[in-house]
Amino acid sequence: MPMDLPRLLAATAPQGAGWAGLRRVRSTDRSCSARDGKYDSARVTEDEGYLAEVLVDGQFGYAASANADIASLKAAFGRAMTLARAAGPFAIHRFDARQARPASKARWESSREKKSGLAMDDFAGLACSLSSAMRISDKIIQTSVDFEIHEVETEIASTNGAELFQVLHVAFQSLQAIARDGNVVQKRTANGSSARIRQAGAEFFDAGALALDAQRAAEEAIELLTAQDCPSMTGDLVLAPDQMYLQIHESVGHPCELDRILGDERNFAGSTFVKPDDIGKLQYGSKLMNITFDPTVQGEAASYAFDDIGATAKKEYIIKDGILVRALGSLESQARSGKPGVSDQRADNWSRAPIDRMANLNLEAGKDSFEDMVAGIEKGVYMETNRSWSIDDYRNKFQFGCEYAKLIENGRITRTLKNPNYRGVSSSFWKSLCKVGDGSTWRIFGAPNCGKGEPNQVIFVGHASPVCTFRGVEIFGGEA
Amino acid sequence: MSNNNDLERRFDDARDVLMGELASGEELSMEFSGELSTFMRFNGCKVRQIGEVDVAYVEFRLYKEGKSIAAGFNATGDAGEDSARAARALSRAREECALLPDDPYRSAPTSTSTSSEVFAGRLPAQERLPQEVLGPAAGTDFTGIHSQGPIVRGAANSAGARHWFATESFITDWSVWLPNGKAVKSCYAGREWDGAEHARRLAAAKARLEPLSRPEVKLKPGDYRAYITPDALYETIAFFSWNGLGERDIREGESAYIALREGRKGFSPLFNLTQDFSLGIEPRFNEAGDVAPEKLALIEGGKLASTIVSNRSAKQYGVPTNAAPESEDLRSPAFGAGKLAEKDALKALGTGVYISNFHYLNWSDVETARVTGMTRFSCFWVENGELVAPISNMRFDESLYDLYGSKLEDLTVERSLIPETGSYVLRSLGGALLPGILAKGLRFTL
Repeated sequence: MPMDLPRLLAATAPQGAGWAGLRRVRSTDRSCSARDGKYDSARVTEDEGYLAEVLVDGQFGYAASANADIASLKAAFGRAMTLARAAGPFAIHRFDARQARPASKARWESSREKKSGLAMDDFAGLACSLSSAMRISDKIIQTSVDFEIHEVETEIASTNGAELFQVLHVAFQSLQAIARDGNVVQKRTANGSSARIRQAGAEFFDAGALALDAQRAAEEAIELLTAQDCPSMTGDLVLAPDQMYLQIHESVGHPCELDRILGDERNFAGSTFVKPDDIGKLQYGSKLMNITFDPTVQGEAASYAFDDIGATAKKEYIIKDGILVRALGSLESQARSGKPGVSDQRADNWSRAPIDRMANLNLEAGKDSFEDMVAGIEKGVYMETNRSWSIDDYRNKFQFGCEYAKLIENGRITRTLKNPNYRGVSSSFWKSLCKVGDGSTWRIFGAPNCGKGEPNQVIFVGHASPVCTFRGVEIFGGEA
Repeated sequence: MSNNNDLERRFDDARDVLMGELASGEELSMEFSGELSTFMRFNGCKVRQIGEVDVAYVEFRLYKEGKSIAAGFNATGDAGEDSARAARALSRAREECALLPDDPYRSAPTSTSTSSEVFAGRLPAQERLPQEVLGPAAGTDFTGIHSQGPIVRGAANSAGARHWFATESFITDWSVWLPNGKAVKSCYAGREWDGAEHARRLAAAKARLEPLSRPEVKLKPGDYRAYITPDALYETIAFFSWNGLGERDIREGESAYIALREGRKGFSPLFNLTQDFSLGIEPRFNEAGDVAPEKLALIEGGKLASTIVSNRSAKQYGVPTNAAPESEDLRSPAFGAGKLAEKDALKALGTGVYISNFHYLNWSDVETARVTGMTRFSCFWVENGELVAPISNMRFDESLYDLYGSKLEDLTVERSLIPETGSYVLRSLGGALLPGILAKGLRFTL
């Protein structure tokens, strides 16, 4: 429920600040997990606090406090003022509140079909039954199921008139089976350990659909025990959406963040090969590559109406027909760089200042069916489900591993492969994009754990993609 | 340390409500984590963001009639509000717990131990922070973060245990950059801020920039002799926690060290890994109030000496606990020292690569303990014991059984205490005591 934040701000905002704002965040989380058919854990938490922010002579300062009484928030504003004044002589940019803090007014709640939630006995019972159902063989040595439901309520008020209230309902699920035969151990999950994150209600935990997913994960874990290792080769690589989402995240999302381009992340998460002058010109990938920042996709993990400084969310092309046309940069980064950006200044909680973030970053669907994509390949590998990811601090040299693969020979899928990996360099890899799957292959996934920022922040993002084919990729297996 | 007193009051208030409201047949363990931190993020020797964070979290586990549930809330510092939050959280935990299946491996708290460690510090005044940290770096492309303030951890349980750990500390985690994109990375951490020491470290870093300005050497994929510094090795420490030496991971097929447990693989006889709380950098107690042994040998002479065992795993597998947290993460790790003097490291390397930092490591194949990652910051090509030029960033893909096994030539006599700099949700405690290592080969792949 929203509280009267404008009145609280009016009672606590300091004299002498050119601008002041309050952001309140309240989050409630429920989770449960099962292992080997038995209850493992359950957790219920609540968290609520305030970020008091001021702008003094063009320098922002903030103070985060969970204490909502007037005296405490006044004191927080006072400390934010002290810090902003101290930093003034060292300011990286003289910000203008009219440019960097919109005076927006909006209310928004993410959609969900079932609003009444899921009782803990149903929640835990489903996790246990799925975990039990995955034990289809003595060779299955572990099964696990994890479910989470989060509600994040954000409210913003500012002295220039912003009044915003937003509620996100985010759900997460993970199913995995581990099989062993002799010294061979293989893990298979339903789309990865953390890719199934959506804005949804209890309908996300559909027992019938999950049972089919659990059955498939267990069967494929067993199948992988006797599969051949992925061969070392340079060939065509077909990637399923549950791998594409992380390929997009690491080799498009992070390199195109404007704060990385401006050097803010160099000491921690890293820099980027993208230069400021590349925006509007750089041939990032093949002409089939169309990447959008789209916080309006219903059900995708990071959909919202406004970001954490109140900038209105809307869909924008980041890469259009292979050309980098815009960066993932917030109003603050846009003011510093003079480059076009998006509404993506987000914080992971009330205790952190917002920074440039990806939100939903999607690859738009193309025209090819999956069957046509496979039919056009003489020799290649089709890979599903991310299990390993690594990329350098300039976002060039990457290596990814997947859980499950199929060999493609003469236009046909022939056999299952285990331990598939591939490596490459971001821009040349995206230039080798030669087929983009149609809407029938397009799936929505996401990541609940994108880390960035100093102090560190972990946030959820959404990524949707069709199946894609890349030409001439270095592919290898477990022993290469 | 008045802020510590305020945080300790919040801990005790929460403990009083949670323990005081327990009904017959209920047991409870709780942990408390908090801080009052000032953060100053800087880029190009300018302030990017500056602020203060006052935050405290209470997490507890309720045990009742064969069931258990975890719950949590944040403590505000307002005694009345916090009391209400604690009571509400306990009430909700009770309601939800009643709906759960039985917990087959519940391990209700039994420890009655108590402890208190408080380390006061001397930190710069908030209003002087920008000048104090950035002033000595004027004229350089100085980028990173300064964090300071008290950090506290507490644990208590219904059997009577109470533990408190408070430290007032700072970390300036920074890098100095050249226009060519090369940088020297460093970190100044401690409890007693010394502006002169900060300036001395900056001056030393500036002197180390010159070799980085030379044209870089582009290496081809292949096996290279390598000297790897303690800072770089620190990035591999997580791989003894994640899919690591936890008893549960090994039993359930998640660990990279199943082959080590079964005697099919081993490390070099030179390789020793100990969990060593005598380092004094993080508390010995876990969330249930149990106190871990001061030292626990995990790998001795390249062989598995012990795994990391929580109370829950102890119950599940019938093995002794070593008071690990439920995550069975490695805490306060220390690698054993070797015989190589640090000053002789480049000479011993001869021709090869000097690696100061790794970046973005991940398992590339858990089953064979193979890890991939990148070189980062000041890494050099070395010929005949002399730094020649920086190398272009290279990807490696190497089994830890080889890096700390057949390819491990020696470790340095000197060991460095590398602080943990992470600040997800809260500023981290801990770190690791590590030597540098000389490796016969490190496999670069891209």
